[in-house]
Amino acid sequence: MWESLNLKDVVTLARDPYPSIRQWTRDTGKKVVGSTIADVPQEVIHAYDLLPVTLLGTHKPLKKAASHLPDNACSLARSNLELALSYEGDLFSGFVLPQVCDTTQHLSDIWRISFPEKYVESYLAPRQADRPSAHYWVKEEIERLISSLGKWTGKTLSNDALAASIAIYNENRKILGELYEIKRNNPGTITNLEFFAMMKLSMQVDKAEFNKSLKAIKDGLKLEKSKSLTDIVLVGITCDPPEVFDIFDELKLNIVGDTLVDGTRYLRGAVSLDGNLVDALADRHFNLGFFSPIHDNVYKNFEEVKKLYYDMKASAIIYVHIEFCESQEYDLPDLKNAIKKEGIPMHVLDTEYQTVSLSHILTRAQAFFESLKGGAL
Amino acid sequence: MSEKLTSKQLSRKITDEYMEDAFHAHDNGKLVGYTTAISPVEIFVAHDIVPIYPENHAVANLTAKKGVELCSAVESMGYTSHLCAYARSDLGYRKTGVTVTKGIPDPDLFLACNAQCFTLTKWFQVLARKGDLPVFVFDTPEHIMNKEARKEIVKYCVLQLKELIGFLEVQTKRKFDYDRLKEVMKYSAASSILYKKFLDMAQYKPSPISIFDELIGMAIAVYRRGTQECVDYYQTLCDEIQAKVDQGIGVLPKDQEKYRLYWENLPVWFKFSDHAKLLGSYGGVILTSLYVHAWSFDFDLNKDPLETLAENYVNRFSNSTIEDRADMAMELFNKYSMNSMIMFMNRSCKAVSFAVPTLKDILTKRTGIPALVFESDMGDQRFYAESQVRTRIEAYFETLDRLGLAQKTAVA
Ligand code: SF4
Ligand code: SF4
Repeated sequence: MWESLNLKDVVTLARDPYPSIRQWTRDTGKKVVGSTIADVPQEVIHAYDLLPVTLLGTHKPLKKAASHLPDNACSLARSNLELALSYEGDLFSGFVLPQVCDTTQHLSDIWRISFPEKYVESYLAPRQADRPSAHYWVKEEIERLISSLGKWTGKTLSNDALAASIAIYNENRKILGELYEIKRNNPGTITNLEFFAMMKLSMQVDKAEFNKSLKAIKDGLKLEKSKSLTDIVLVGITCDPPEVFDIFDELKLNIVGDTLVDGTRYLRGAVSLDGNLVDALADRHFNLGFFSPIHDNVYKNFEEVKKLYYDMKASAIIYVHIEFCESQEYDLPDLKNAIKKEGIPMHVLDTEYQTVSLSHILTRAQAFFESLKGGAL
Repeated sequence: MSEKLTSKQLSRKITDEYMEDAFHAHDNGKLVGYTTAISPVEIFVAHDIVPIYPENHAVANLTAKKGVELCSAVESMGYTSHLCAYARSDLGYRKTGVTVTKGIPDPDLFLACNAQCFTLTKWFQVLARKGDLPVFVFDTPEHIMNKEARKEIVKYCVLQLKELIGFLEVQTKRKFDYDRLKEVMKYSAASSILYKKFLDMAQYKPSPISIFDELIGMAIAVYRRGTQECVDYYQTLCDEIQAKVDQGIGVLPKDQEKYRLYWENLPVWFKFSDHAKLLGSYGGVILTSLYVHAWSFDFDLNKDPLETLAENYVNRFSNSTIEDRADMAMELFNKYSMNSMIMFMNRSCKAVSFAVPTLKDILTKRTGIPALVFESDMGDQRFYAESQVRTRIEAYFETLDRLGLAQKTAVA
């Protein structure tokens, strides 16, 4: 189903992967387990022969979620809840929901209460990452997830199955990393929309199949070097809807680096296959880069962003703010100041699932990049 | 000597002495630690770190209607208007110096416990960045319903409390005294029992206290846990309320107490006394909320202090699942014979409010009592629509009357 897709197919599917996932489950008889972002060790779910799908909201109208989560809840959480309550809930046999902030903590409760007949497990991510106890805890949670999935499926997880799943995930990350490299060095070869569609779909469909498509896409690329593109670094948690990438393409921007949870933070998650696999999965958690709900120091984020900006010789930073995400909102003013002080041009893009105005985003981004060209920033 | 003081005088005395100590902490070789209202402050007390709760200071300013001024100031710094009003008013205070109290001393370090909310962690991080000060995050994963997981959560929290002690030893260059901690725990355990006894006096009919008394009465439990004076205060308070009970004195006279209400969430601070009067005019008394019970701990002095601390701080209502919150609220409904409920959707406090719609569904189903739901903000008056709230309250009591839910003892 996903092994021989071309770039165009990928872009189309990434907009709405669910019909194809439905078909795939009918064909294979496998069950689907959904997770919101971030940091669920999905390799474990995959190793139980289930299909882990990262939920990244829906663009269909909000109908039910609003009566569970008020309008000052982050739009990503509301959108994901809507996706499950109104549109695709029946596709999933279960959910593993990470808790990283107050919103996600409530979201898992609401979700569990809304789906009493389904398997719903919480993955309690640590909200500190600098002390030994955090390592202890991540390992503990991974082990708890393994045993919880074992109880639900009635299966025992073998080391070989876990190693095989990790290898498939690692391969996915590796190919995507190579494609990113191509995009960076050969701007114009892959558009922003196409690249981030590959990223997104990787997190939602069967990777054993999709890796084949990705390899073929990579091998078939005709390298181009468009000089007229402006290199930028994208900072934030996630960037949606996909039309935003269309806007970047229209404005002739080339994303050469990012800190997104469904971007580089996903790519960095390669897991060592040497030694104890649970330890390796736990270690991975600490090598992922800054994530505002977990890390305590926004200056780490600044250092990371600064390094990316200089290493990639980018021209500007675009910060993607998800409306009502408190974690971002407490960090943003200081991050902005630090970036400004460093003299790096930065544009904040406000996104909100369901209600985002694309023309507004376009106009504001246009104005920013025009001033950038004119040297006014 | 203190036996002669009333609870009100005692509260003032304790508070004055505490603030005096806080402002002179450095002169006395002590550090000032900012901490969250729900945090294992017993460790601070045992290590002679003066705990300061920016939330309390925020409450004073918000109650005195300084919310809009302070919040606007911080919004001009780039913070959005939907962050917690405590955080906004505190950051506003840092910028403008505006306060109705003498302010609070600057911090040397921070302890952020997220059993209450994660907002506080982020807010403290903002403050810490300004002075490049250390923040210790005491991470309390949700107290999910799986018993095995709970044991692991407690283990994780005990590990962190040990790390906290190590952190404080480095900051103060002093060894931590576990015997002292045991002493402090004794006071905390004793005052918690008395504090709970005080809250539970709302069981009586008529109730001698309303939530408004409790909100005032909880202050010492919040900031002086772990001290002898805290125990003394609650003993005095319980004695005073018991005397009222003995004389049959209620917030409302017995024949007028029609509606014994449950309140969900924090109060609307700047409407505090207005709400008491308004509800009273309909024969309503708010008896309790999970919020005020957040400080009635159940410390087990036979256990390792770190273990009982961990157990108690992870299982607060604000860190519990919605199902457990509903059970906790049901227990209060039954114990206090409540016959009505107000569910406040507080825009400021996402940590409490995002549970409210689901909790309301569960509680109305389980009690068969309709709920009044209203949305506003605990501290930012810009989100409070006076006439709308009044109309809703009026309509709610009419519904209750129509349903014949008034207490039988009250004059209809
Ligand atoms: S971290 Fe932010 S974006 Fe993610 S769920 Fe929480 S509030 Fe929403
Ligand atoms: S009001 Fe709510 S969000 Fe604000 S500090 Fe208190 S618990 Fe946290």
